[in-house]
Amino acid sequence: MDLFLQLLVNGFINGSNYALLGIGFGLIFSTTGIVHFAYGSVYTFAAYVAWFLATSFGLALLPSMAGAIVAAIVLGVACYTLLYRPLELRRAPPLIPLIASLGLNIVLENLNAIIFGSGVRSANFTSGVYFAGPVFFTSVHIWQVVSCAVVVAALVLFLRKTRYGRAILAMTDDPNMARVVGIDTKKVSYIVFALGSAISAVAATLTLMKDGASTHMGFTAVFMGFVAVIVGGVGSLRGVIAGGLLLGIVESLGLWKISTEWQSSIAFIVLFIMIMLRPQGLFSIARR
Amino acid sequence: MRKFLTAAVAAAAIFMAGPAMAQEPPKDPDAFRFGAILAMSGKGDWYGKVMSRAVLLAVDEINAKGGVDGIPLEVVIEDHKSGVAKEGVSAMTRLINISGVQAVLTSFSPPTQAIAPIADQQGILVLNGGGTSMALLGLTDMMFHNRTLASDLAIAAAMRAQELGLGNMAQLAWKNDAGESMIAAADPFWEKTGKSIVATEYMEIGAANIDTQVAKIRVSNPDWVALWAFSPETGLALKKLREFGVKVPLIGVEYTGDVKELAGASAEGYEYATDFFAPSAENPWSEQFAKAYRERYGEAPEFYAANYYENVYVLAEAIRRARAEGGDYWNGRRLAQVIRKSPTFPSVYAKEMTYQDNNVALKQVGVFRIENGEPRFEKFIDLNR
Repeated sequence: MDLFLQLLVNGFINGSNYALLGIGFGLIFSTTGIVHFAYGSVYTFAAYVAWFLATSFGLALLPSMAGAIVAAIVLGVACYTLLYRPLELRRAPPLIPLIASLGLNIVLENLNAIIFGSGVRSANFTSGVYFAGPVFFTSVHIWQVVSCAVVVAALVLFLRKTRYGRAILAMTDDPNMARVVGIDTKKVSYIVFALGSAISAVAATLTLMKDGASTHMGFTAVFMGFVAVIVGGVGSLRGVIAGGLLLGIVESLGLWKISTEWQSSIAFIVLFIMIMLRPQGLFSIARR
Repeated sequence: MRKFLTAAVAAAAIFMAGPAMAQEPPKDPDAFRFGAILAMSGKGDWYGKVMSRAVLLAVDEINAKGGVDGIPLEVVIEDHKSGVAKEGVSAMTRLINISGVQAVLTSFSPPTQAIAPIADQQGILVLNGGGTSMALLGLTDMMFHNRTLASDLAIAAAMRAQELGLGNMAQLAWKNDAGESMIAAADPFWEKTGKSIVATEYMEIGAANIDTQVAKIRVSNPDWVALWAFSPETGLALKKLREFGVKVPLIGVEYTGDVKELAGASAEGYEYATDFFAPSAENPWSEQFAKAYRERYGEAPEFYAANYYENVYVLAEAIRRARAEGGDYWNGRRLAQVIRKSPTFPSVYAKEMTYQDNNVALKQVGVFRIENGEPRFEKFIDLNR
């Protein structure tokens, strides 16, 4: 039972991280229709920037995270400006941005290695250790759950209470209609790339604290974010959160009685089951 | 009479052929071009960086001294993308068909295993300095290893645990051939000591999250934890095990710069058994290599660098010996023959090393303990015990 509780808590913590990744990835995907796989490299870049700021300037967690957010926004917006926007203007079929994003991911992954070196990096942020009965967790774990909650709350407020937030919702609902009613879809696309990239930087900084950073960390991150979006339902914020948490908990509890050698298969199994049983995801967009 | 005539003709043929073969001049190529299939990209690109640096250093050194009997060495470096078998096969095919190599240096178990049948069929000498899987043994007579196999390292680590009087073992292993081979070697060894194995957990290469594995190990209450993985996952495992409150001894098979970076203070007290390269005055070559490597790359060589540096010199020496026998000596089968014929070679580790019957060079395995972030040599382990 002790192990069950520990795995449940681990799953919830990891699920919060997957949800965070899914929110950022899904915001871009559902609004612009771009499957931005280079999101993984933006995430990696943010982790390395946080590491650089923490180790070179001795910055604490929050200033390092702030620097990583700025860097991720710049890179994310640059991805849209230099690659996806020209493809949109040329009316490229949906498959082209998808392939371009995979290529861009490889280019950025190598650029990260050239800029920061190919070795693993860790930042020495202080981390407390806590026990609640048989269950163990660290302050980084708490940060992961809290940051997910804060990002979700801020995003909900932004989407519901601001002009651009409502424009994003409109564009997610129907991009053509949004354009017809006068929404500047180009500006909205820039905003979602900036927001999504900023969210990736939050997750990246916390992963740096928890497990360290490597130039290849982006693939798993973007994959888990992608699965969370598909499981939860494209365009649904609560769906992505549910998808991320479900993925984290199933991944952790699934290994309670079976060997951990199956760990990497579990995300695929969740994805396959979801695609077969409920292809629209747990929470498809109610408005559509 | 007929028998006598047959014997006479045979003796005459041998008499005539013998001097003719001995006198046949060596057929020299313009250059001795060989390949190196390394992890130049992907999750294990640190290995490719270190190994390729050492190979280039050795090639430049040999060529600066006039090459091998006046003929330069040339290396073509290919990428198996951190252990992808099919990339290794593609690289091997390119090296043979486009570059025309007769010898290949290789690393990582899956690509090395995948290229073995090609080497066997095409007669290409393969020198492995990094792949550690037991599965590499017996694949072909064309392949030689100067890296202690993972299974032997695991046994050395378990022998250390036995010396320390440790009890029940939990093991955390890479989910790949090297990890499996370490489990396959350590399990029977540890069971023979009369102690139990209380947990066996796996992690992927490049694993980002091993919380579940560590939680399962923690509740199994082991007396020590064996880490059957290499860089950088060993670092992540050390960090997570200590973070989760696992206070028992941790014993593994590697400690590199990446492990140190990831594990930080969690590596304190960690012990590991590994190929041991340390420059010493007893072997001036080792000091010269360490100095040249440091001057060229700004850091001290690790044993992976030493293995690949040494492999280039093994190749050069094999070429020299084969050339002395004359004829069409620049082919993999002749090179493999001369290595088997006289399997002792100068070693950058000690004065010399000898390839055993299984084509694995017998080397010393050192046990180290991490103190203040740095490895401190504890003792040698004799695997023949």
